Amino acid sequence: MAATAQVVTSPQPGMHSRRIRQTFLSRTLPFWLLLPSLLVLAVVQFYPGFYSIFLSTQDFQAGTMKFVGVQNFDKVFGSSSFSDSVWLTLMFLLGYALLTMVVSFTVALFLNRKLRLSGFYLTVIFIPWVLSDVIAGLVFRLFVVPDYGLLSPFFASPLFGSPDGISLLTTPPPSPLTEAIPFPPAPAMFLLIFASAWKAVPFITLLILAALQTVPKEVLESASMDGANGISSFRFITFPLVIPTLVVAMFNLTLGGINGVGMVFSLTSGGPGTATEVLSFLLYKLGFGQLEFGRAAALSVLMTIVNLVLILVALRISRSDSEGYKF
Amino acid sequence: METTSTSPAYLKRSARYYAFAKGAQPWIYNFLLVIVCLFMALPILGTILTSVKRQVDVQRKPPLLLPCDTETRDFDVNACRFVLEGYDRVIDIKPNPDALFGFEMQGRMFSTYIPNTLLYAVSASLLVTLFAGMAGYALSRFNFRGRRALQLAILAITGVPLLTNLISLYQLGVALRKAFPGYEERIFLIIVYVGFGLPFSIWIVKAFFDTIPRELEEASFIDGCSPVQALFRIVAPLAAPGLTSAFLLSFVGVWNEFIAGYLLVSKNALKTAMFGLYDFIGQFVIGYQVLAAACILIALPVVILFLFARPVFFRAMVEGALKG
Repeated sequence: MAATAQVVTSPQPGMHSRRIRQTFLSRTLPFWLLLPSLLVLAVVQFYPGFYSIFLSTQDFQAGTMKFVGVQNFDKVFGSSSFSDSVWLTLMFLLGYALLTMVVSFTVALFLNRKLRLSGFYLTVIFIPWVLSDVIAGLVFRLFVVPDYGLLSPFFASPLFGSPDGISLLTTPPPSPLTEAIPFPPAPAMFLLIFASAWKAVPFITLLILAALQTVPKEVLESASMDGANGISSFRFITFPLVIPTLVVAMFNLTLGGINGVGMVFSLTSGGPGTATEVLSFLLYKLGFGQLEFGRAAALSVLMTIVNLVLILVALRISRSDSEGYKF
Repeated sequence: METTSTSPAYLKRSARYYAFAKGAQPWIYNFLLVIVCLFMALPILGTILTSVKRQVDVQRKPPLLLPCDTETRDFDVNACRFVLEGYDRVIDIKPNPDALFGFEMQGRMFSTYIPNTLLYAVSASLLVTLFAGMAGYALSRFNFRGRRALQLAILAITGVPLLTNLISLYQLGVALRKAFPGYEERIFLIIVYVGFGLPFSIWIVKAFFDTIPRELEEASFIDGCSPVQALFRIVAPLAAPGLTSAFLLSFVGVWNEFIAGYLLVSKNALKTAMFGLYDFIGQFVIGYQVLAAACILIALPVVILFLFARPVFFRAMVEGALKG
C-alpha cells in the first residue's frame, strides 16, 4: 500500500533527473544552436570591427604600434586623394545606380508580359550575375585593351573628340571644370560604370520582376474597364505598388557599389592615374599597397559607419512596410 | 446602355485596335528581349571567341573580329583558324602512364587552384548550411531575451565592408602564422569564408523556417520528440529547399571570391582559382587567348550549377533581398 503511494507521487528517480536535464537543455537550446554561428561571426565579423577602431588610433610601422589619437583620421580625411575619391565614388554610384535601375526596370516590364520564352530570356540575362567580379572585369578589359581589344579601334575613331579618339583604359580625364571636383570623369569611369551595371542588372531585374508579378491582375483589369489606358494604369497602379522594391533595389545597389572592389581591381586598377580610384579601392591601396594600416583602418571606420547608417535607414523603411508605405 | 447604341463605331474601332495591339505586342517584346539577351551575352561570347583564337591572331593590329581572312579576301569560311591553344595552355595535359587515366594536367589551374577552390567552397558551404540551419531555427522558434537585437546585429554585419574585416583578418593571419608553427592557412580561410557567408544564409534560412507551421513540431512534441529531434527529423526535411539555397548561394559566393583568398593565402599551393587567374596576366607574352580560356574554364562550373538550379537561386535571392 505504502509502496504504491510512493510510486504514484513521485516517478522513478531516473525519470526525475531526466526531466530536469531536458528542461535545462530546452531552456538553453537556442543558445547551443546559435553558438557555432556566434563563434565564427565573433572571429570573422565582430572582432575585425572593433580591432579596426583600435587600429585607427595607432601608428602601425613594421609591426610596432604607437598611439597617435586622431592623427590617422586627420591625415586621411585631409588628403586630396580622399576628397577626390569621395567625388569619384559619388559619380560612380550615381551613374551605376541610375543606369542599372533604368535598364532593369525596362527589362522587367518586358519580361512581365508573360511571353512563352520569358523564362529563357531571364536565364540568359542572369548569366552575368553568376560570374565573379574579377572575371567580369577581365572580360570587359579584354575588349578594350589598347591596340588589341576588339572595341579599341571603335573608340580610337575621331568620333570621340580628339583626332586619335580615346582608349578607355589609358586616356586621362579631361581637365576638371573646378579645382575641387574631378569632373568630368575619365573614359575609364564610364567603362567601370557600364561593366558594373552589366553585372548588377540581372539581380535588380529579378527583384523588380518579382514585385511586378505581385501586382493583382484584377485591379489592373478593373482599371482598364474603367477606361484607364496602359500608361495611366502603370502610373497609378503598378508603379506605386513596386516603389518599395525599387527602394530595396536602390539600397542594394548603393551598398554593393560602395563596397565592391573586385571589379575596379581587375578592370582599371584605379587608373589611369587615380581616375577610377573609388573609396573601396583607396582603402585597398592604403592598406595593402602602401601598408598604412592605421590610415586604412581610419578610412574603413568611416565606410563602416556609412554602411550601417544606410542599412538602418533601409530597415526603418522596410519596417514601416507593415503599416503601409508613406511616400 | 445609351453609349453602346449611340457610338458603335467608336467601340468597333477600339476592339480592332485592341486585337491589333494584342497580336503585335508579343512580337515586339520578343524582339526587344532578344536584343537585351544578346547585349548581356555579348561580352561572354566575345570572350569565348577570343579564347579560340591563335596567338598571332590575338596580336593583330588592328584587332580582327573573326580570324577568317586570307591574303586576298577579308572573310573566307574555309580559312577560319579556330584552335584550342588557349585551353591547352591552361590545362596543359601531358601523357603520364602512372596517372589515373593515362595523362595528367600539369597546368597549375587544374592541378592545384581549382581543387583548392572546390575544397574551400564545399567545406565552407557545408558549415554555413549547418550553422545557418541551427541559428535560423533558434531565431525562428524560440523567444529569448535579446533575440531582436541579435537579429539586427546579424543583419547589420552584412553591411560592414569586406575589406574592413580583411585588414584585421590579414593581421590576425600574420600573427597566427608567427605564433603557431603548425598553423593551417586553409582552415583559417575556410572559417573566414564561413563568416562571410553566414549572415545572409541565416537570414534566408530563418525566413524559410518561419513559413513552416509550428503545429507540426508541437504535434511531434506530444508524440515524445525532444526539440533537437524535432529539428532534425521534422523541420530540417521541410526546410530542405531553404538549406539547399543557402548552400548553393554560399558555394557560388566562395567560388567567386577573390580578395580574401588573395590576401590571406601566402603559399602557391593553397591559392584559389580567382587568384590563380593572375598567373596569366603577369606574363611577358600577350596571351589574351589564354586569359580568356582561363576565365571561361573557371566560370563554367558555377554557370552550369546555376543553369541546373535556377529556381532555387531565384527564390532565395528574392526572399533574401525583400525580407532583409
